[in-house]
Amino acid sequence: MSDVRLGTLLERARDGDRESLQELVRELNPVLWRVARGQGLNAEDAADVVQTSWLELLRRLHEIRTPRAVTGWLITATRREAWQRRHRTRRDGPAGALALDGVADPGPPVDQRLLTDERDRVLWTHFARLSQRCRDLLGIVAQVTRPDYSAIAEAYGMPHGSIGPTRGRCLAKLREMLLADPAWGA
Amino acid sequence: MDPLDAEILERIAGFDPPPPDLDERVLFALALGSLEAEVAHLAEQSMAGSGARSTGERTRTITFDADSRSVMITVVERPDNLVRIDGWLAPGAALRVDLRQPEPAPVRTATADATGRFVIDEVPHGLAQLLVHGDPRVVTPSLVL
Repeated sequence: MSDVRLGTLLERARDGDRESLQELVRELNPVLWRVARGQGLNAEDAADVVQTSWLELLRRLHEIRTPRAVTGWLITATRREAWQRRHRTRRDGPAGALALDGVADPGPPVDQRLLTDERDRVLWTHFARLSQRCRDLLGIVAQVTRPDYSAIAEAYGMPHGSIGPTRGRCLAKLREMLLADPAWGA
Repeated sequence: MDPLDAEILERIAGFDPPPPDLDERVLFALALGSLEAEVAHLAEQSMAGSGARSTGERTRTITFDADSRSVMITVVERPDNLVRIDGWLAPGAALRVDLRQPEPAPVRTATADATGRFVIDEVPHGLAQLLVHGDPRVVTPSLVL
């Protein structure tokens, strides 16, 4: 869905149209889920962070001057809230000692045992070897048919115009690994 | 896009999909009439009691923090499959507290005492959201009781 269309939905939601709001939520939730999980949160915390971001959005609707920027706004809010959540959990939780590990890469939060399809398993093995940036990016663009690259760039602090090429490089690397793996097949 | 790239992205999209009730939870949280309220963020969650003591009380304590106030609730399982919510506002104040559940369930209301304690009893399981009528009002994300 284009950023213009999303902007229109946001404007209608601002005028009280519940159906537009529902459409916006259904469209953007998969992306926001990916963003929260990419920050290493467990499923319950990630779900909570996603809805907190939406509540913040609705509270600040009148401050949003460019409705088409809604995707970027929500991704940024979700990343920030997820980061804070993880920080608090590490400090307060019983696993607080883990904080000593510093910025340990939480890894891709997928339970490999849940992947029953052989090709999924093979793909997962190689996907997990990509850099965090590649995993984040591919995980997000996989969720949307026409990803808003500028919103993703902004939210992840990457230069505008670099998302397309980075996505291309990440995907090419993954293809190369898959095609070299006999388990993937032709 | 070539078929292999398309297949790769489709499979990646299937890794770790959002929980099926995520949209419902978000829309429920947003359905609150007016959102001129501070958003309280989930700060801590802990369980007490164990399944082994099936006759004992199982409780869950959840803390939400907003800039102006914190809301701590303990959800106590009742023998009749309903729950009791023991709440505490900090700083304490005699404020009205609403518990919303999906329609057609009515909004349940309690008033905290001067120290901020409140109780909402005989609440069915399911989605719920708290609204504290202070100045400013404070709203929590939806939680599953």
